[in-house]
Amino acid sequence: MRRAALFVGLLLLAWLAWDTGADPVRLARGLPWIVDFLRRMIPPDLTVLPATLRGAVTTVEIALLGTAVAAVLALPLGFLSARNVAPPPIFHPARVVLNLFRSVDTLVYALVFVAAVGLGPFPGVLAVVAYTTTSLAKLYSEAIEGIDPGPVDAITATGATRLQVLRYGVLPQVLPLFFSYVLYRLETNIRAATVLGFVGAGGIGFYLQTYLRMIDYPAASTALLVTVAMVMVVDGVSSRLRAGLV
Amino acid sequence: MSAMIEVAGLRVVLPPAVVAVDGVDLTIRPGEFVVILGRSGSGKTTFLRSINRLVEPTAGTVRVAGRAVTGADPAALRAARRQIGMVFQQFNLVRRASVLDNVLAGRLGYVPPLPSLLGRFPAPDRDLALEALVQVGLAHLADRRADTLSGGEQQRVGIARALAQAPAVILADEPTASLDPALTADIMDILRSINTGRGLTLVVSLHQLETALAYASRIVGFRAGRVAFDGPPAAVTPPVVDAIYGPTR
Repeated sequence: MRRAALFVGLLLLAWLAWDTGADPVRLARGLPWIVDFLRRMIPPDLTVLPATLRGAVTTVEIALLGTAVAAVLALPLGFLSARNVAPPPIFHPARVVLNLFRSVDTLVYALVFVAAVGLGPFPGVLAVVAYTTTSLAKLYSEAIEGIDPGPVDAITATGATRLQVLRYGVLPQVLPLFFSYVLYRLETNIRAATVLGFVGAGGIGFYLQTYLRMIDYPAASTALLVTVAMVMVVDGVSSRLRAGLV
Repeated sequence: MSAMIEVAGLRVVLPPAVVAVDGVDLTIRPGEFVVILGRSGSGKTTFLRSINRLVEPTAGTVRVAGRAVTGADPAALRAARRQIGMVFQQFNLVRRASVLDNVLAGRLGYVPPLPSLLGRFPAPDRDLALEALVQVGLAHLADRRADTLSGGEQQRVGIARALAQAPAVILADEPTASLDPALTADIMDILRSINTGRGLTLVVSLHQLETALAYASRIVGFRAGRVAFDGPPAAVTPPVVDAIYGPTR
């Protein structure tokens, strides 16, 4: 039985390799090109540093604004899709909506919003909001479902209304978790926002893609270095904040 | 008022199909200190929780202080719950909130709902909460975070929260079971002082016979979801103990 499963697994992998044209020889032949590509990136062209830094700031702004708006919008959605808070006729459809929106990546939303509102950071913000709202709502609802039911019982027993029970029995238990999820999402959104520029939704990705298209590798190199630095700074700040929450 | 709590024909079936309370009739008069005795799984907890409908009864009626609990619409149920304080085995405090905030939660049934959602409570309600803390001897810890207190202190906060409701009745579900045995008398003494000092009706579930006999004015023995004994502590003889706990003991 176990052997059969192993055999089927290996067969599946072999088929995947064949169907995707995965070929170690092709990779080996391409390696010199990658080396050449990297060599042309050195030294980075620092004259584009001011422009790329501005792009990085825009990217951080997109991620910050998008995440902040999503963090708030996700609140009602999170409560409505928590099994232990919302009645079944509400949380079942809410779950479906969440899974539907979450199955599409930020980049795809960006394409849609660029077409709708034009180029620039604004469609980027909208894309971040669209994806992050539902993914945060999902995380929120899981946090709500994992609470200790004891305090909820106790607050209910005082004669409190449903909203008061949420405010005093549920919220204090989940709020620190919510904050930590929002920070985690901010970190991933910084990375997502980097690529948003590729489809015209503003930020440092726009510069990176332009330099690559113009075959200006030293400039692209600067954009990449700025991206790495930006991600590291945001990650560092965020993880420090998160550590303070627990 | 002749009866503080009137339970008639109470039956509770918990999902999937466990008959936890199987036809209980019980009338409790004002000022009684009733101890519900029984092994774990005898239906004590479910019985207590169906008095304020934290558990939905399958059949039967419950009235507390002249108000119908069963059949009450949400607003009437909240009004009925407000006069029923409840103390839990696991304290059920909001761990990250301050001691005073935990006790203030006892006022939620009385205060204007909208400001309360923003964390605002009228001054008279704050005074009541502080008074309740004084009564359990913890006024000096009002600003501490609840989870920094010892177990015994946390249970006293739980009692203060129930007192802050200015209730007619306090239900206590195994209030000493998660505490060091040395603290049992502490908590039971506080409950007794509430009973004698404020004249509150108490219904306390316990599994220790000795504690029950020392504090109760009336013992109700539960076995397999039914009342197996109902009488004063003096009437609890060895055959009665067998009837409640089973002859294997």
